[in-house]
Amino acid sequence: MGNKTTIPSATRLTKWLVSGPPLLFLLLLVAAPGMITVLASFRYPGEFGGLAPLVAADPQTLQGVTLETYRFFFSDFIYAEVFVKSLFMALATTLICLLMAYPLALLIAHSPKKSRNLMVLLVVLPFTSNFLIGIYAWMIILGPQSALSQMLNGMLHLFGIAPVHLLFSPFAVLVALVYAHLPFMVLPLYTNLEKHDPALLDAAQDLGANAWQRFWRVTFPLSQPGIFAGSALVFIPVLGMFAIPELLGGTGDMLVGNLIKEQFLGTRDWPFGSTLSILLTVAVLLIVWLAVRLGGRGGRYA
Amino acid sequence: MIRPILFLLLFIGHAQAADVLHLYNWNNYISDVTIARFETQCACRVVQDYYSDNEEMLAKLAAGATGYDLIVPTGNAVESLVRQRALRPLDKSQLPKLNNIDPAYLNTAFDPGNKYSVPYAYTLTLIGYNSARLRELNIPVDSWAAIFEPRHLEKLKGRVTVLDSQRELLAAALKYLGYSANDTIEAHWKQARDLIVRAKPYWAAFNASSYIKELTVGNIWLVHGYSSDIFQADIDAQNAQRGFRIVAAIPKEGAVLALDSMVLHKSGPRPDLAHRFIDFMLEGRNAAELTNLIGSGNPNLDARQYIQPEIAQNPAVFPDKTQQVKLEMLRDLDRHQRRVLSRIWTEIKLR
Amino acid sequence: MLKQIAIRLGRQKTTTKSLVVRSAGHRLTERRGPWLWAAGLAAYAFLYLPLTIVVAYSFNDSRLNAEWVGFTLHWYRVLLEDEDMLVAAGNSLFIATVASLAATVLGTMAGIAMHRYKLKVLTFMVLAPVAMPEILLGVSLLLFFIQVLNLTLGLLSIVLAHITFSIGFVAVIVQARLAAMDESLFEAARDLGASPWQTFRHVTFPLILPAVIAGGLMAFTLSIDDFVITFFTAGVGVQTLPLRIYSMIKIAVTPEVNAVSTLLMLLTLSLTVIASRFAPDVLKGKS
Repeated sequence: MGNKTTIPSATRLTKWLVSGPPLLFLLLLVAAPGMITVLASFRYPGEFGGLAPLVAADPQTLQGVTLETYRFFFSDFIYAEVFVKSLFMALATTLICLLMAYPLALLIAHSPKKSRNLMVLLVVLPFTSNFLIGIYAWMIILGPQSALSQMLNGMLHLFGIAPVHLLFSPFAVLVALVYAHLPFMVLPLYTNLEKHDPALLDAAQDLGANAWQRFWRVTFPLSQPGIFAGSALVFIPVLGMFAIPELLGGTGDMLVGNLIKEQFLGTRDWPFGSTLSILLTVAVLLIVWLAVRLGGRGGRYA
Repeated sequence: MIRPILFLLLFIGHAQAADVLHLYNWNNYISDVTIARFETQCACRVVQDYYSDNEEMLAKLAAGATGYDLIVPTGNAVESLVRQRALRPLDKSQLPKLNNIDPAYLNTAFDPGNKYSVPYAYTLTLIGYNSARLRELNIPVDSWAAIFEPRHLEKLKGRVTVLDSQRELLAAALKYLGYSANDTIEAHWKQARDLIVRAKPYWAAFNASSYIKELTVGNIWLVHGYSSDIFQADIDAQNAQRGFRIVAAIPKEGAVLALDSMVLHKSGPRPDLAHRFIDFMLEGRNAAELTNLIGSGNPNLDARQYIQPEIAQNPAVFPDKTQQVKLEMLRDLDRHQRRVLSRIWTEIKLR
Repeated sequence: MLKQIAIRLGRQKTTTKSLVVRSAGHRLTERRGPWLWAAGLAAYAFLYLPLTIVVAYSFNDSRLNAEWVGFTLHWYRVLLEDEDMLVAAGNSLFIATVASLAATVLGTMAGIAMHRYKLKVLTFMVLAPVAMPEILLGVSLLLFFIQVLNLTLGLLSIVLAHITFSIGFVAVIVQARLAAMDESLFEAARDLGASPWQTFRHVTFPLILPAVIAGGLMAFTLSIDDFVITFFTAGVGVQTLPLRIYSMIKIAVTPEVNAVSTLLMLLTLSLTVIASRFAPDVLKGKS
């Protein structure tokens, strides 16, 4: 077993035994379909949806490859505007999720071991039923005849402000986005916080650091990988979300997800839908890359 | 312990009798009683899949979904499927009851001579309103102006929803401007866009689903919606003893009529059962059950006698001759038009 | 040699344990100040308020989820007679179980590999499905299943799709835990001549178990919740709960949907309780 000469090859074998299966699976079910989609973005839409043929017998029909979908995207600002709006919405959702999830994750991590798993389970439990149900519940809570709306509007009335509609507004969309993604922030944060060595905090306390200093100097810097993982798990899915703006949004709430969904399910314009998806993915990768670079610097500082 | 249960559950879905009819239908678009009767009659099972949108159904078929014997698309989707050569021609010798259908709904532009389609039911896209509120505010409901004109909308701010459908909303705007619902001139589309953008600040939402409930509860007072949905909202409001009615009105400028027809998909393995089902649905009693259930319009003349009188006399379900001429069926758009419309829609949402 | 590792590990364990006991007993729980409690409970309230409403209205004697009329079990009766809904629920549970188990295994492997071997291509492949808009993944999988694999769409295609989008989430969580772990533990095991499998079995796995469980739970949640990708990869006659609910929402949600959600939550809850009865270690993360 401990034979020196076999160690390198054994290590290599282990390396491929561990990384091989997931890599193969993902190459087959992500890379290959992804390539098909990239190719689709350079084609013409089919007359009835789908894709126009690459080669058609009839020279009259549209065929072959083209850059027209990309030209169409960049021909004016309207689509870029949708992108920017969605990025802001996703950013806001991520920040609110972080603000809500951090104390919760910390509370769980600082609880006695016995109760931690129960507390984590309590975070996940609401999501074992379908999220559309939760969204529907928010429609009831934010509706004009709900207790919340009436209380709020009653207060506004006291100050002489006209009543507001909570439902069908960007506010409602934001609330639901936060609701649907909160556990994805709590779980990685908790996983990170849970394994912090309490001795570090003890040491800091013994050195005279107060609770706030202990948090900022010890806990927070150490939790950065968790924050990063959680933010990625929230930020990215929000960008592809379309059901929430559709159900809770007002007349102006359109995110990239809605736009893409519409290309595939409404307009039947697959090439343009593929183009939008690819540009969105590029934007996401760019942001993640930026975050990694900035995060890396922050980590070194800590 | 858990695993065997799960496997059992898996097999519930797959333990099928040999004779199965696969029906790809709108959600809640056939009565359970009707299905049960057909199953006894043919000694077979009906398996339904549902869609809530023609585009959804077309997208799924375009992506290669197969195995459906029977589909119930709207006219423009029938047109698209016919042109894709995705349908199986009907064998009319197996459909002796075809003459139960009102000739007004046969031989349509999307399927001349009914080679592929048999009318099933129709809905109108019109104005639905809370009778008490609109009377109070004294807003005329015989015109699309109620939906589009700021002078009316000022009194209704935040109480109006319109359909979240590019084609339907554009059609309503085009109708109000005096054009055809099928107008494809880009300048007219832009005019319609401006009309919509002007009215948009007063609307609560673009909504395709929950307006039924919002109408019933009394949060929303005026909608651009489907006749069957408005019918449902009215029934719910009556059952909940709301003290107001939800009424549908056909605007004088005209409206969209969506005729849903039964068609045979090429991939369906059981055209024999599909034909039997179509002929079964042509029987007045069976056809009437749907109308009594959801308040849809019924093209079947034999069905009239079985329809509840309140529905039969509702002009928004069975429009009279003068109104019928103002109704239009939507045609399919080509790929260029679809892309232009999608761009206009994005502009509408963002402005 | 194994004995040595065991002793070494045993020693390691006791020191950690004594640390935990010392601080957990005194200071750790003290660190849950009133503010932390307030913020944490507020977050729980935010998560459970809609849930309470869903459960409450499943007993409401009114078609509308709007105001309280009276108590009834009517919607549960309706549900029990709705064969479509029951089959859809069964499908959803089956898919979620199979897909989350497979994704947990593959995702854990991917997380370890990402951490240990820093394989760029693997990291990219793991993050790609997370970074892709769901709808793109759905459509591209559909094209792939139909055009390349010539697979009949059904339970298998949905399970494969669900595994695909879940792997990344598991891997990210596992990797995040490994990243902040003390490397010397693994080195110690290796120095003592433990084979990679022994190192994994006795050192790595117990340490990452909480992350594996968290990842698995997340995969299950994602699977049972997923609508978009399922929508594209479901074939003829295969419905899942979200597909069914979506269809119903388009018309008007009746409290039947509330009833099925309530039952689903009860079921998941009891499964978890049963699991913890039979294998307490699984839930407690025995490290």
